[in-house]
Amino acid sequence: MRRAVALVCVSLCVSFALLRVRSTAADDIAERAHKLHFSSIVLDTHDDTTQRFFSKDFDLGKRNPDGHIDIPRMRDGGMNAIFFSIWIDGRIMGPPAVQKALDQIDAVHENVRKYSKDMVFCRTADEVRRARAQGKIAALIGVEGGHMIGNDIRVLRMFGDLGARYMTLSHFYNDEWADSSTDKPVHNGLTDFGKDIVREMNRQGIMVDISHVSDKTFYDALEVSRAPLIASHSSCRALCNHVRDMSDDMIKALAAKGGVIQINYEQSFIDQAYKDASEKLSGGVVAQFDQFKKECGDDQECFGRKMQEQEKQAVAEGKLPHVSWERIIEHIDHAVKLAGADHVGLGSDFDGATMPEGMEDCSKLPKITEALLRKGYSEDDIRKILGGNTLRVMEQVERVSREMQSQP
Amino acid sequence: MFRIILAACSCMSAGVLLVATVTGDDLGARAHKLHFSSIVVDTHDDTTQRFLDGQFDLGPRIANGSIDIPRMREGGLSAIFFSIWMPSKITGPEAVKRALVQIDAVREQVRKHPKDLALATTAAEIREIHAQGKIAALMGIEGGHMIASDLGVLRSYAALGARYMTLTHSGNVDWADSSTDTPAHNGLTDFGKDVVREMNRLGMIVDISHVSDKTFYDALEVSKAPLFASHSSCRAICDAPRNMTDDMIKALAAKGGVIQINYHVGFLSQEFRDAEKANPELEKTIAAEVQKRCGGQEACKLIVGDEVTREYVKKGMLPRVEYTKIIEHIDHAVKIAGVNHVGLGSDFDGANMPFGMEDASKLPQITEALLRKGYSEGDIKKILGENTLRVMAEVERVSRELNSATQK
Repeated sequence: MRRAVALVCVSLCVSFALLRVRSTAADDIAERAHKLHFSSIVLDTHDDTTQRFFSKDFDLGKRNPDGHIDIPRMRDGGMNAIFFSIWIDGRIMGPPAVQKALDQIDAVHENVRKYSKDMVFCRTADEVRRARAQGKIAALIGVEGGHMIGNDIRVLRMFGDLGARYMTLSHFYNDEWADSSTDKPVHNGLTDFGKDIVREMNRQGIMVDISHVSDKTFYDALEVSRAPLIASHSSCRALCNHVRDMSDDMIKALAAKGGVIQINYEQSFIDQAYKDASEKLSGGVVAQFDQFKKECGDDQECFGRKMQEQEKQAVAEGKLPHVSWERIIEHIDHAVKLAGADHVGLGSDFDGATMPEGMEDCSKLPKITEALLRKGYSEDDIRKILGGNTLRVMEQVERVSREMQSQP
Repeated sequence: MFRIILAACSCMSAGVLLVATVTGDDLGARAHKLHFSSIVVDTHDDTTQRFLDGQFDLGPRIANGSIDIPRMREGGLSAIFFSIWMPSKITGPEAVKRALVQIDAVREQVRKHPKDLALATTAAEIREIHAQGKIAALMGIEGGHMIASDLGVLRSYAALGARYMTLTHSGNVDWADSSTDTPAHNGLTDFGKDVVREMNRLGMIVDISHVSDKTFYDALEVSKAPLFASHSSCRAICDAPRNMTDDMIKALAAKGGVIQINYHVGFLSQEFRDAEKANPELEKTIAAEVQKRCGGQEACKLIVGDEVTREYVKKGMLPRVEYTKIIEHIDHAVKIAGVNHVGLGSDFDGANMPFGMEDASKLPQITEALLRKGYSEGDIKKILGENTLRVMAEVERVSRELNSATQK
């Protein structure tokens, strides 16, 4: 009897001890992850918050009840650098597109100026590091679509001089010199002029972004560019068969040239079941876009609202599946296994896409670090994915630019 | 006895002649020294139009026009404001795009000649660049039509380095009346006043050349910083509406501003202006000849227009205007407003130049003429450029004040 009691006690003690060890270890990881995340440079290469700058109801400095980005939530989420996307409908071309782009670039600068205690405008990797050291959020600019240069290489230069550090070669629709992945091919990738544009981007130190472009455009740009490229907000086609995502071959080719695929958190790009159901329901992202455009015109607030409303309703009605934020980790992991930890980063598409559950806004970003740590990623590799890889690409692009400019 | 007196007189005359020659040489040498040790600032040059021809290069000595690097150096020009210009009838997004292209053209010329040119946006930068033995290149936007009534566009031009904006060119803009158009707005509209206020905040000099008198007085009232007239002369000497009345010059000066004298013969000489008005057929003939040689090419029209006008003067069909007329205008402005309020705004490559001031290499003649007139060296330095630098520094100071008042 005494032996039985003793055995039970020992078992209980051991179990209890084991439980305690495991929960301490779990607490350890959470703590380590928190420390790691908040001591890294967390850089997001694609955010559409710019559209909100034109709404009287939006204040970047306040905690907003909607949307995915504002300064308080960026601080909560440990976001250190953000590329504000300059975007207008891809069907607007020529001088009107140019002027609208200027207005958006201006809106970014004005917001940074307004919140200069928290933000600082950056054009180089060095400046991003310096901003981080000063405890400020680095604001950068990416131009989301070649249609905005009005088919004129000189306008491209001026956007560069105004601080644009990348340009996505097209958006949803073909522009005058590059095919999009979501339009009927007309140029067979890049035209000769499109190749000149890529070369000039190299010369100006503007990163070539191949999100949105057709596969042929991607391969053309890859061939012409003397610097590494990025996909500012694209995920893995092997996991979710969307034309906006990159095939394994594309990811490998991008990596071979030193580039980075920055994972997009948009539900229909990361979850096959969601993508299929969503296409059945609304005809897909582009068709949905068009529908909202008809209803909302230029009112981006209306746009965002309707998108979220329709989505919520469909999920509630069971017409669309839930998508967990953990899908993001799967895509990161897939890309790392394929191309190595030096070639993956984060390109959320916050404020421009529908976020999976658990990644409602940028304050949730630390979950990514914790998930990767739990998965067994090294701290070094996590730092690379969080932002180190993107900073490396920026530095290489700057170096290529200096080299090209020093030649006559 | 007579012979002695004769000898004495001869000696004296010779002596006086010798003294006069020596003093003359002295003055020539002094003027040269003074000119080439001063900062010489020209606030208005239309050479930009020539940059739009991709082949044009500021580097070599050019056979026509008034501006290139060799002639700027020969003329001791330290800083030049390249004018961003297009006809007033070009408006909206088209104007915006073309303005960007011109700004790019200026920046590219500077990039092409790093040993001779450097972009400047402040008075301090002009001094620094001058100390490095280079010529400072700046930009002015010649006409508010180019902002398409969009403050974001205005701010973009400022961000790209434009340091002044002439509120109108020869035609009214949507928010300001020109001196050479039928009044429509009674000076500045409310939006026009917003433009002036925003220019103050941006540190852009408000330029009132070209504008109607009422626009001038409205701008003067609203502006918190001194203004200037980048290329205007004195209406008291030549009654062109493009010139400033004595009252206007005094009011400009009272606010710390500067009238930068324009060398265009039609603004310098009443005789020339009268001859032109009396001979409208002559103007038409000249215009037709220019059209024949140039078609619609703006740069060609300006350069060839000057050449053709010169031919007609040589034929005696238009009066000859000497560069000394420039001195007359400088002198008049100094007498009524004081030596702190006059400067140089040639209109080189955009107007018809007087004899003796065909191009920038002739600028030292202005210094010599003023020295001969009895101006002190200090005063001449002011007219050559110190007054303009003072206005720039003051406009920058006001901008800093206004900005620190609006930051969070």
